[in-house]
Amino acid sequence: MCVAIPAKVIKITGAHAEVDIIGNRKKINILLIDELSIGDKVMVHAGFAISKIDDEYFDFLRNIFEEMMVDSP
Amino acid sequence: MTQEEKRFIEKIVTQINESIKSDIRIMEVCGTHAYQIAMFGIRKLLTPKIHLVSGPGCPVCVTEPDYIDALIALLRHENVSVATFGDLLRVRGSSGSLEEQKSLGRKVITVYSPEDVLVLAKKKKGEYIVFAAVGFETTAPLYAALLQTAQKEKIQNLFLLTSLKRMEPAIRFILGEAGVHIDGMLCPGHVATITGIGPFLPVTTEYNIPAVICGFEAMDIIASIGILCKQITGEVPHRLINTYKRCVRDTGNPTALCLINEVFRISDVSWRGIGMIQGSALTLNHRYEVYDAAKRFNLKIETTTTSFPDGCECGKILIGEKTPDVCNNFGRMCTPEHPMGPCMISSEGACAVYYRFGGDEI
Ligand code: SF4
Repeated sequence: MCVAIPAKVIKITGAHAEVDIIGNRKKINILLIDELSIGDKVMVHAGFAISKIDDEYFDFLRNIFEEMMVDSP
Repeated sequence: MTQEEKRFIEKIVTQINESIKSDIRIMEVCGTHAYQIAMFGIRKLLTPKIHLVSGPGCPVCVTEPDYIDALIALLRHENVSVATFGDLLRVRGSSGSLEEQKSLGRKVITVYSPEDVLVLAKKKKGEYIVFAAVGFETTAPLYAALLQTAQKEKIQNLFLLTSLKRMEPAIRFILGEAGVHIDGMLCPGHVATITGIGPFLPVTTEYNIPAVICGFEAMDIIASIGILCKQITGEVPHRLINTYKRCVRDTGNPTALCLINEVFRISDVSWRGIGMIQGSALTLNHRYEVYDAAKRFNLKIETTTTSFPDGCECGKILIGEKTPDVCNNFGRMCTPEHPMGPCMISSEGACAVYYRFGGDEI
């Protein structure tokens, strides 16, 4: 039930935004997000944006792993 | 997935499988993780020595029958409609399910978002709309935002019947009082998106169990299991790692947390199959109690000990002590079409996930 899906912000109108979710346009509530801009990516849970997301995650995951290897004795 | 990402996954899987020499148990607390792990076929990639067990993180599975009975009791009022997320429709109380009530012509309305409930309340002015507010910290701020808007717009026919739960007390219960043995924990990424890493720190600092806050893509899950294995085998020290940083900040979502504090207070609630866990509920505080359906309609939600159908092992499955295949009803008397226990009802329930995708035995 805690499912959230990524979406891209297309238009902002007050407490709502129009987003693109895998090619579909949807209106979502953005009250929980401070400072949102057009083009930002957000995670959407039950019609609300709950977090902005950063797309560089592959590099991030790889970095964590490499750091761990350095940690190893 | 790019070739580079595929190679990364293969490298980690090989490392994991070579490093694990004896049986280990990793708990995925979140129902969405249980679903994704099964859907991606992650068990098939890993050595059978790694047992991935479920935890209590399917909100629908842990909702007490008394709560469903209270919603059904509300439907007897002529002017009341109950709005609910689809997940809850088939959960049974002692007097049946909301789905059955709907087929009898009672006013049960399925919604996708709390926003839909606001629209409903505005449209049905002469009626009362009661929203079944179920979920964890991921969903709690949405209900809070809904009530704040209702207050601002002076909407007076909208109420919540809450059964909102907090993750940290449940995790403490499993690792402490219940004494469930696990070697590592995949922590729920979307709860942490709201709460931050705080509620998950004790897993490592107090219980000394490796823990990773994990996202929901195959790569997130594999990398997180890889990190857990490195900690479990002693290659690196035990500490909480957040591999879902693209979404989870250490401090969570401060706006959402503020809203939760503005609208809710912490209290106790009983979890289906587990029992009472102190401090594990979010209920409306005095500022918002006018929106409390239990108060408005004088409902008493008893917290009696849950009884399960004969042979149903959901109580043990929800705390990771057992897996669905040990239940004699599984796949025979109990299927998603004819569910007996709560773990077979929600699509994210451990039994439903096992039934659909298979489990450890593959
Ligand atoms: S298979 Fe059905 S009866 Fe058995 S534990 Fe799961 S939900 Fe309960």
